[in-house]
Amino acid sequence: MATDVKLPRLGQGMESGTIVKWLKSEGDNVEKGEPLFEVDTDKATQEVEAEASGVLIRIAVSSGEVPVGETVAFIGEAGEEVAAISKRPEMASESVEEPQSDQTPFRAAINGARDRIKASPLARRLARERGVDLASVTGTGPEGRIVAEDVERAAAGAPAPAAAQAPAPPAEVEEVPLTKVRRTIARRLTQAWTVPVFQLTVSVDMTRANALLERSRELQPDVRVTVTDLLARVCAAGLRRHPDVNVQFTEEALLRFPTADIGIAVAAPQGLVVPVLRSVERMSLAEIATRRAEVVDRARSGALQITDLEGGTFTISNLGMFGVEQFVAVLNPPQAAILAVGATTDQPVAVDGELVVRPLMTVTLTVDHRAVDGAPAADFLRTVKTYLEEPALAL
Amino acid sequence: MAEVSYREAVRDALAEAMRADDDVLVMGEDIAEMGGSMGVTQGLVEEFGPERIRNTPISEMAIVGAGIGAAMQGMRPVVEIMYEDFLTISLEQIVNQAAKHRYMSGGQLKVPLTIRTQGGAGWSPGAQHAQQLEAWLVHVPGLKVVFPSSPADARGLLWSSIYDDNPVIFFEHRLLYPVKGEVGEKLEPVPIGKARVVREGKDVTVIATGPLVHRALKAADEAEKDGISVEVVDPRTLQPLDEEALVESVKKTNRAVVAHEAVTRMGFGAEVAAVLQEKAFDWLDAPVERVGAKFAPLAFAPAMEQFVVPQPADVLAAIKKTVART
Amino acid sequence: MAKVEKRRALSEDRLRDLLREMLLIRRFEEKVEERFRAGELPGFLHVAIGQEAAEVGVCAAMEDGDVFGSTHRAHGHTLARGTHPNALMAELYGKMEGCSHGYGGSMHLYDVERGNLGANAVVGGGLPSLVGAGLAFKMRDEPRVAVAFFGDGATNTGTFHESLNLAQLWKTKTLFVCENNTWAESTPGWQHSPVWNDMSKRAVAFDMHAMKVDGQDIEKVYDAACEALDYVRSGQGPVFLDVETYRMHGHYIGDPQVYRSKEDRDKAAHNDPVVRLRERLEVSDDDWTALEDEVQGIVDAAVEFAKSGTDPQPEDALKNVYA
Repeated sequence: MATDVKLPRLGQGMESGTIVKWLKSEGDNVEKGEPLFEVDTDKATQEVEAEASGVLIRIAVSSGEVPVGETVAFIGEAGEEVAAISKRPEMASESVEEPQSDQTPFRAAINGARDRIKASPLARRLARERGVDLASVTGTGPEGRIVAEDVERAAAGAPAPAAAQAPAPPAEVEEVPLTKVRRTIARRLTQAWTVPVFQLTVSVDMTRANALLERSRELQPDVRVTVTDLLARVCAAGLRRHPDVNVQFTEEALLRFPTADIGIAVAAPQGLVVPVLRSVERMSLAEIATRRAEVVDRARSGALQITDLEGGTFTISNLGMFGVEQFVAVLNPPQAAILAVGATTDQPVAVDGELVVRPLMTVTLTVDHRAVDGAPAADFLRTVKTYLEEPALAL
Repeated sequence: MAEVSYREAVRDALAEAMRADDDVLVMGEDIAEMGGSMGVTQGLVEEFGPERIRNTPISEMAIVGAGIGAAMQGMRPVVEIMYEDFLTISLEQIVNQAAKHRYMSGGQLKVPLTIRTQGGAGWSPGAQHAQQLEAWLVHVPGLKVVFPSSPADARGLLWSSIYDDNPVIFFEHRLLYPVKGEVGEKLEPVPIGKARVVREGKDVTVIATGPLVHRALKAADEAEKDGISVEVVDPRTLQPLDEEALVESVKKTNRAVVAHEAVTRMGFGAEVAAVLQEKAFDWLDAPVERVGAKFAPLAFAPAMEQFVVPQPADVLAAIKKTVART
Repeated sequence: MAKVEKRRALSEDRLRDLLREMLLIRRFEEKVEERFRAGELPGFLHVAIGQEAAEVGVCAAMEDGDVFGSTHRAHGHTLARGTHPNALMAELYGKMEGCSHGYGGSMHLYDVERGNLGANAVVGGGLPSLVGAGLAFKMRDEPRVAVAFFGDGATNTGTFHESLNLAQLWKTKTLFVCENNTWAESTPGWQHSPVWNDMSKRAVAFDMHAMKVDGQDIEKVYDAACEALDYVRSGQGPVFLDVETYRMHGHYIGDPQVYRSKEDRDKAAHNDPVVRLRERLEVSDDDWTALEDEVQGIVDAAVEFAKSGTDPQPEDALKNVYA
């Protein structure tokens, strides 16, 4: 039986060696202990002695780098057959399952954590346990961190105390820590700013509209219908008539919505929020008024739920109560259009060639040009103006 | 009950152990007639003789090693290393030999050796006579590390250390030696691995060792005036650490400060903070604060020494940080 | 295991026993080298080939109850003091049946029952604790000796000097045995010690009783060791025994000894203590073959025993950290 001559481990940590020279040839007689071949290791070139006596039947590796333990030759009897050396079986490369990078639970948790509110671990736990939305809590800890006390207070329903601020010495700049809401506004509107938009402005004669509102208040004194409510109704009707404007642009497709879910921009104490009225096209003015009042109330007291803010296909922003005559609103992404409403003021206007004074309101429509072109937008705006000037057509 | 000093308490424990057990002996530099550089072994050579209160040459490696060898033969030697800084010289014997014989032999050997040493700032000792190196030793598997802050704890823990079958590093502190405290008539062994609540409180837990226990108590009194209720816990044994007791306290108060005289950075306090955030994460209402020496060797000039070493005011500031509001 | 009987003059029978022991160590170490090259043994290994007489000679003179500590080159002492080759081989293979139960390996061999307090991987690291053991024996008035084996390289460490100083000062029952093979790994004696030519001078500095002996002649070694042990055992103080010997192979298995001249290696080869004793006893070819076969059988059996031993559970790593 032939003996395998294997590359020996000549030192701790040796993983391979390079055979540089055979000191015996195939067919030679070999004595145990005789130097057989020379090997180069990290440290030196060393002679390797034969571990058996016999004939060097075959040299399997004449030179080159070989891993420790590999058979490099055979010693046996003259004429003995030796099996061809089978290549060391390739380690079947184990296909390693790549974890789905986007779908693992960890990914979701990490992504979710990105918009983190600053709150102590204890505060978070208490919030979880008591069902308090941290977004609605004001933190009184260092750097605006929400601490347990703040959550306890929110859970008990008490209003957040005015954070005691030492009066800033006159010359110093006060640093107001960013709330979550402010951060969100900043982020989203920066996003909106990158969208290619155009604006269309139109003046609306509010004579008929004002009369309608007055009459409505007379008939239903407990439901206070406002211009905003009427605008919502009119825009909803307009969006039904011009579905090309009730859309949103995405990379894959243009999304068209079957209902007019209209957001009303509200100045809440923590910042701008836009609660949404759903399927406004189906609501009566009174229903809109009631719903709008409810939602704005919640916005002002910081009690909005996520469901109030989700969705929305169109937004109305009314700064008329501040006396602003006209302005351009920033899109509320991912919506494709927003209507900026100014104050209604008496203006001189030509009607049938005669100079008269009429209550005029200027509205400006900002539109995402990727989703809606100028003509359809203008068309929509004309409808809105028509409906406002002749409300009977919209109702 | 009697009132004794920390120094007397240590001496007491040594004497009692030596009376009870012929296998206990004390070795160290200048410990016989002189009674040790800190006076701890004063009077012992008169009672026990120079064989058992044994002066050694200045050979920290051999002294500790001889202690290891005698311990392996069943004796219970107590080796005194004059200054904690000199532990570094004998570290090879402590870390490579004492800590590992049991393990490397697969359980065949025990090394019931106690190494007593003292260190710390105070009286301008200079950088090579002032270090607090417990972080080096708690990091070595196989060693136990003890650091009592009161006379009763010192007495009870030294007894337990001598009778523990593992190598124990017993840290004393020079400023603690004259501190007096109540001890029982009889020596009460204090178990290794158990913390002690020194002061109860509700708002924040201060975990402190050695002299910082006393400074924490001062800070706690001050904090009380501001309406902050402080709990002070002394782990007493640094390795094995009584994690359960520390976590229990922090779960109660929701805030923690860890205070030691050793350098804060990479210190023992860092380990405690890690354990707390790991085991009491959802109970923490503020980040864990650490109080310790600033990252510099100890300067000679007193003003500089005072600046680097943590004072009661530093503990108070940390306490206040944990309850701070904007 | 042969009973260790102390006799100043060794009988022929006793010498034959010692020859067998030396040959066993020799073949054991050669087998260890072979198994290492085959990739079966993890870690660092240092064989005692060439130093058998030095080691067996001293060990044979020791008594039950004596303790010892060795160096990274510990297989010889371990076998000579009675650890079974099976237990030693199993330890080298990292098995639970090993003398250190797989926790120590070649450089941390322990057999406390037989007085083996541990091989030490730190040069000079074991010396102080053997001073401590000698102190314990003295304080308890026990007729036992702690024997510290070390090499010439160790005589330069701080622990060596501190240990000799302390041992002599306290007159501990410690015997310091220097196996002086004139090599500290790759550094020759003249490059590491000013007194490399006469290592016993180290002892003079401490006023310690010193002796010197030819380590390749087992009878001389045994004789000197007996004298030294008697001295120490009597409580007169420690002894420094300088045993001049040869390391026939490299520092560790696989060491190509590029630093060593052929001359030096040949000199070592020509001073083979096993060959010397064989010649001294005029062992016949037949007897020699029989002895070889016997010894080879024991060594082969040890490998079989080790290979079929039990691997420790990974979690066993957390046991034995504390008592």
